[in-house]
Amino acid sequence: MTGAAEADLPAREAAGLRKLKPDRPRIAVGLATCGAAMGGDRVYRRFQEIIGAGGDDIMLTKTGCIGYCREEPQVNITIPGRPLVILHRVDADDVEEIVTAVRAGEVPYEMALCRVPSWDHVTGTTVEYGGGFDRIPLYQDVRFFSHQKKVVLRNAGFINPEDIDEYIAVGGYAAAKTALTEMEPDAVVAEVERSGLRGRGGAGFPTGLKWRITRKAPGDEKYIICNADEGDPGAYMNRNEMESDPHMLIEGMIIGAYAIGAREGLIYLRAEYPLAIRRLELAIAQARTCGLLGERIFGTGFDFEIRIVTGAGAFVCGESTALIASIEGRTGRPHPRPPRLTDIGGGLWKKPTDLNNVETWCNVPVIIQNGGDWYARIGTEKNTGTKVFSLVGKVDRVGLVEVPLGTSLNTIVFDIGNGGSQGKKVKAVQTGGPSGGCIPVRLFDTPVDYENLNRVGSIMGSGGIVVMDEETNMVDIARYFVNFATGESCGKCVPCREGLKHTLLLLNKIMAGKGTEKDLDTLGLLADTIQKTSLCGLGQLAPNPVLTTLAYFREEYGALVKK
Amino acid sequence: MDEKTLDDVISRYDSPSGRLLGILGEIQNREGYVPRDALEMLSAKLDVRLSQLYGLVTFYSFFSLKPVGDHVITVCMGTACHVRGAVEVLAALEQLLGIEDEATQDGKFSVTTEDNRFTLEIARCFGACSMAPVVEIDGNLYGYVTPETLPGILGNYGWRES
Amino acid sequence: MTHEEIGLSGTPKKSVTIVIDGRKCRADEGEIVLSAALREGAAIPHLCYEASLDPYGACRLCMVEVCHNGKTSMVTACTLHATEGLEIRTDTPEIVKYRNVLFELYLAEAPKSDVIKEMAARYGVTRTRFLKKIDTDDPLGGSCVLCGLCVRVCNEIMGAGAIGFVNRGPYTVVGTPFFEANTDCIGCGACANVCPTHAIRIEDRDGERVMHSWGGGRVRLAQCGVCGKYYAPGALTAATLARLLPPLRDDLAGLCPACRAKRIADEEIRVNMRGGADHHVRPRRS
Ligand SMILES: Cc1cc2nc3c(=O)[nH]c(=O)nc-3n(C[C@H](O)[C@H](O)[C@H](O)COP(=O)(O)O)c2cc1C
Ligand code: SF4
Ligand code: FES
Ligand code: FES
Repeated sequence: MTGAAEADLPAREAAGLRKLKPDRPRIAVGLATCGAAMGGDRVYRRFQEIIGAGGDDIMLTKTGCIGYCREEPQVNITIPGRPLVILHRVDADDVEEIVTAVRAGEVPYEMALCRVPSWDHVTGTTVEYGGGFDRIPLYQDVRFFSHQKKVVLRNAGFINPEDIDEYIAVGGYAAAKTALTEMEPDAVVAEVERSGLRGRGGAGFPTGLKWRITRKAPGDEKYIICNADEGDPGAYMNRNEMESDPHMLIEGMIIGAYAIGAREGLIYLRAEYPLAIRRLELAIAQARTCGLLGERIFGTGFDFEIRIVTGAGAFVCGESTALIASIEGRTGRPHPRPPRLTDIGGGLWKKPTDLNNVETWCNVPVIIQNGGDWYARIGTEKNTGTKVFSLVGKVDRVGLVEVPLGTSLNTIVFDIGNGGSQGKKVKAVQTGGPSGGCIPVRLFDTPVDYENLNRVGSIMGSGGIVVMDEETNMVDIARYFVNFATGESCGKCVPCREGLKHTLLLLNKIMAGKGTEKDLDTLGLLADTIQKTSLCGLGQLAPNPVLTTLAYFREEYGALVKK
Repeated sequence: MDEKTLDDVISRYDSPSGRLLGILGEIQNREGYVPRDALEMLSAKLDVRLSQLYGLVTFYSFFSLKPVGDHVITVCMGTACHVRGAVEVLAALEQLLGIEDEATQDGKFSVTTEDNRFTLEIARCFGACSMAPVVEIDGNLYGYVTPETLPGILGNYGWRES
Repeated sequence: MTHEEIGLSGTPKKSVTIVIDGRKCRADEGEIVLSAALREGAAIPHLCYEASLDPYGACRLCMVEVCHNGKTSMVTACTLHATEGLEIRTDTPEIVKYRNVLFELYLAEAPKSDVIKEMAARYGVTRTRFLKKIDTDDPLGGSCVLCGLCVRVCNEIMGAGAIGFVNRGPYTVVGTPFFEANTDCIGCGACANVCPTHAIRIEDRDGERVMHSWGGGRVRLAQCGVCGKYYAPGALTAATLARLLPPLRDDLAGLCPACRAKRIADEEIRVNMRGGADHHVRPRRS
């Protein structure tokens, strides 16, 4: 018989807690892509050698990334009864010293970034670690963390992403159980609607509404898809969400599939993220073993499977119709809508399909667990909840930042990011990747939400914030993005295919000091035309970097053109 | 790629969703490129027109129709890396490897040294933007790369100053 | 829109009134607005529309302004469906401004195409500010505008799948795999017939059809058993004949259209004199 093992959550929860708070010291090395590449891999291997030689008095494990990427590699130390201590910038050569200290019930203070006496995993579980180590700063006193609010990243950097028990121990899959066993699908949709959650993939479409439309669409075969193409260069929050807490995404999709009435979910994941692919494959396999995927989940009549589809390097495949074409084995050339994905005839294999971004799905479990009203109180009225941003470029504290929507750019760039790197002056930020715009520092009191970013000519996009300093040439930045968009254009429609190419040629000419005032006019006209006449979002938004730099940094263009 | 390996790869895809890209991706990963005979075999086995497969391979930047060298070096040209000096890193690599900037016919940047030891490519973003600029060699990521640190990194892959 | 939908079942399509540049016209509900507007004589330029294919919306020349609840937006007429009271304008200053830039882009992309030059000139655009694409050994003679009609006809209508788009973005071209002769090509020539800029070169000579633009592929032509003329690609006639039932198929195999018409007429006369007809043609599957 199929007989999916009914998920024994309490047993797994207990096992997970024993792993998070073992009766012996626990050392967890931050091994998301950034931590591993910064030397975390070597650190981990060194721990294996040294601890292995001394017996099993210390538990060695992996964890994800807490977001303070500048301070990688990081190592979490948990000594029973003591606070969790995060060590930063750990080198393989430090490992011996760390192990010696831990065996003596201590931590090396000079490597400590902060201590965490207790951690609220938001969905009802608070892990109490203990007191002591008072010389080490508290987590909330570290400036990079003090302005943040962790909802989506609540587990990242604390639990082992390769172990489903630890996710369950911090409240994981409880929301899925509630939804499937106690709620009607319509009630689940209503809860998401009440939360005000808007799509985190860029356009901010109300998620509950999209679910409702797909649920109501005719036909009993439907798909849900997770957009994990994360195409904006300089944006990597989705990568971390998948690498540090893959089960949160899976749980969100289970709940969504139940609400919408889909039996199959797909994750369209870019090939550039091999670790995210491995961790999700593992997580899916674990969820299946626990009966959380497959047939008759939680003993209900609901069956659901998730499959990973890998992309092959095409930014345009983040666009919904191109993404569908890509999964179906065709080139990612968008087609005019309607039909929309949610319509019959418009989705995957012509079935109604709901497409949501990774972070959108990740927001779902906490909404079901804590309620839509709870969620709606975070952020602002029309922009509820938190958003994860990747704060990168020429900023002092690079990393992943989660703040309530409506937080100002000033807070993000100066309070959290500490301004320019190496003490340089910040000039602008670029949000929304190739589809976004450059916002000058004088507009940094802009609250970061969907509408306000549009008002200043940019977009939210998936959440990349790239900081530019006084040394950055804004014309070069515009050229950079146009070059990117030209290379990623699918080539179907003429304004984007040809228009962007000629925009690039003009910008090259201007950068070479050969441009004229007339070229600037042509540049503006071309950008306007591409924006108004392109077929899909790639072309419609690709002129934004040009239009915003022309609007805010015209003098930099002026300095380059011949009078 | 021999027929049995290809059959093996094909047999692992039991759903039409993501099948073609998945199979082509595995061929690319195994061989370092997509050989023409593999494309032709695939076309016959799956009853998919060769023109469709050729369209896919030339559309997606992950695929290459040209064999690559022993080591593949990929420079991230994402935004974070760009503002932190990726252009200089790429130029330094071209110089160290003795590669001339070639005009491309298909929009893909991939150049292999004459001795076939190294292939230089560019990528959009590895999602490791915090340690920009980033270079990947044979799947290993290197962060905070500068023209000065490159010779040391390349040394791990048998590169010697000539 | 398939034939089934256009009332073969007997239900007439509902007629609606749409307003084109202030003029009221009738259209079938759901009809493609471009098609209705062209029938009414509106001057909307278009390159990628073909009634028998799905809406594609690539050339962007057919953009019109739609008034909806007092708000206006620009959309392509070839992807717009007629609804009661729909109001469009085809020549607002905005439309003209953007369309002119698009024409300039086309003049730069297909500098050798007389069709494009004439079309642009009709709308007042005679020169381009943009650098012209020069490619001396382009098998499409510098005239391709990537409207995709050839690719779509080859794939969706003929089912041959001999040609497709290669590369992406500004590097996109239409071609066969590896730009070589492709045995999937049945030589039907539908691509060349449908190409709006006459970019595709095909030549019949010495009993063969040579696909100059498609890697020089050659397809044998069938020779008429009566008059001896080469009349159509062998593969294509075989495919067509396969749809007929044996007696007629055997009668008509190997005949050119002229001789075939004569043979059918002779047969008709013979049958009518005998008073009754055999059904030679297999009814179409519906
Ligand atoms: C050119 C282009 C690229 C896009 N890339 C992405 C992407 O990488 N990830 C993503 O989630 N959405 C991307 N989108 C937006 C998606 O099309 C879609 O709106 C989104 O995935 C819907 O999910 P949401 O409602 O949860 O935001 C892109 C859109 C365009 C036009
Ligand atoms: S706007 Fe660009 S990416 Fe979108 S369909 Fe047109 S050519 Fe393709
Ligand atoms: S921009 Fe280079 S890794 Fe993201
Ligand atoms: S005819 Fe409408 S876009 Fe080409």
